[in-house]
Amino acid sequence: MSLDPFNAFLHRVEADGHWRVGVKDVIDVAGMPTTAASKVLHRVPDRDAECVARLRAAGASIIGKLNTHEFAFGALTNSPHFGPAVNPWDTARTTGGSSGGSGAAVAAGLVDLALGTDTAGSIRIPAALCGVTGHRPTVGLVPVDGVVPVAWTLDAVGPLARTGAECRRALEIMAGRELGAEPPRRVGLVTRLFDGAHPAVAAACEEAAREVWPDAEPVELPLHEEISTITQLVMLPEAAAVHLPWLRTCLADYGPDVRARALAGLLLPATAHVTGLRARSWARSLWERELGDFDLLVAPAMPIVAPRLDAVPPDYRLLIMPYNSPAALLGLPVTIVPCGIVERLPVALALTGRSGEDGVTLAAAEDFQRETDWHRFEPGSGELYTNPVSSDERG
Amino acid sequence: MGSESNLVSTLRALAAQQGVEPTDEDLEGVLDFLERILSALAEIEERLPPEAAP
Repeated sequence: MSLDPFNAFLHRVEADGHWRVGVKDVIDVAGMPTTAASKVLHRVPDRDAECVARLRAAGASIIGKLNTHEFAFGALTNSPHFGPAVNPWDTARTTGGSSGGSGAAVAAGLVDLALGTDTAGSIRIPAALCGVTGHRPTVGLVPVDGVVPVAWTLDAVGPLARTGAECRRALEIMAGRELGAEPPRRVGLVTRLFDGAHPAVAAACEEAAREVWPDAEPVELPLHEEISTITQLVMLPEAAAVHLPWLRTCLADYGPDVRARALAGLLLPATAHVTGLRARSWARSLWERELGDFDLLVAPAMPIVAPRLDAVPPDYRLLIMPYNSPAALLGLPVTIVPCGIVERLPVALALTGRSGEDGVTLAAAEDFQRETDWHRFEPGSGELYTNPVSSDERG
Repeated sequence: MGSESNLVSTLRALAAQQGVEPTDEDLEGVLDFLERILSALAEIEERLPPEAAP
């Protein structure tokens, strides 16, 4: 039985405070089941994950657990066991994932703040497709105790909310320190990610980026062609190691896509994982050499608007990997800000910073949201806005 | 066909050695994926500087 019109919640209680927080169902909340939207896991923890405990201590009211792609190991939030989260902007469309319940709950105003996790895009994708602000922190900034892992060296817990300022507040509480608010001094536009996006999405993103950062310089990401593969080489074996006890005992209880990815990780040669780790070091050194002078890199968060649930492109994962893999592999902070409406659906910019400089991407998001109103648009308000490039003109 | 069947058998044996028992259908899907990623891996290995350490 769905607990809300968007299947965002898996478990819900009444709010007893003013700061309503929903928690992705891979993060422990004392007394609530953690299922990871799976048939495999069902634990009722007696203590909060550390990030939840810190929010609760700061006055948050945890009102429920939010839908996710099974085990947060996919980009759609369509668990075969709990059903898909649906996009409040158009309930025939996906929220993206894996933190799709988090994106839907914030977009629909069911919560003030949602917690998500991001291994290879899982906060950024639903934030973009649901038209909300989201932040993937630098790996290690927020404790991951009490969080079901996907891949230990890539996982990050972060906030989704209406604004960058709200994300900052939540992140500083979870991180246990202030993050600084230095604005970026040198900004790059990642040209290939604009070129690779649907023309209407690229146009909306470029217009918004140019409005706020007119002096941004075009940049190329090192290893653009390779970085998605390198990320898979690191992530899949780590994920297989996480799941190995369950793969041994309840393989058939996994959904087909997650089962396939876990098995792929199990059966990759050990040298493939080591090559992935070596290539990550190589990518990090190239990134530092070629982009080390840039405080902020700006690109479309996603190359497309939210696909219909019944018409997800067969190459969806391949399409979105170049947009999400670099920050995942290198553990970088990224803030997602809504930046336009295309075909009555939200599109967003990804603001990527240097490792440990979460305060810079959040300051950039706050600047962007002082200059623009896109974060104020809510589901339904897309009807008020028609993008100048129609789908007919795009062909 | 025979070659694919041999590869599936090999994957089944590797999985079994780790205590996992996938179906042939599972393994056929994995085989496609492994062929693609191992081919991409070979290209990365060619370009990877020898001094790059994990």
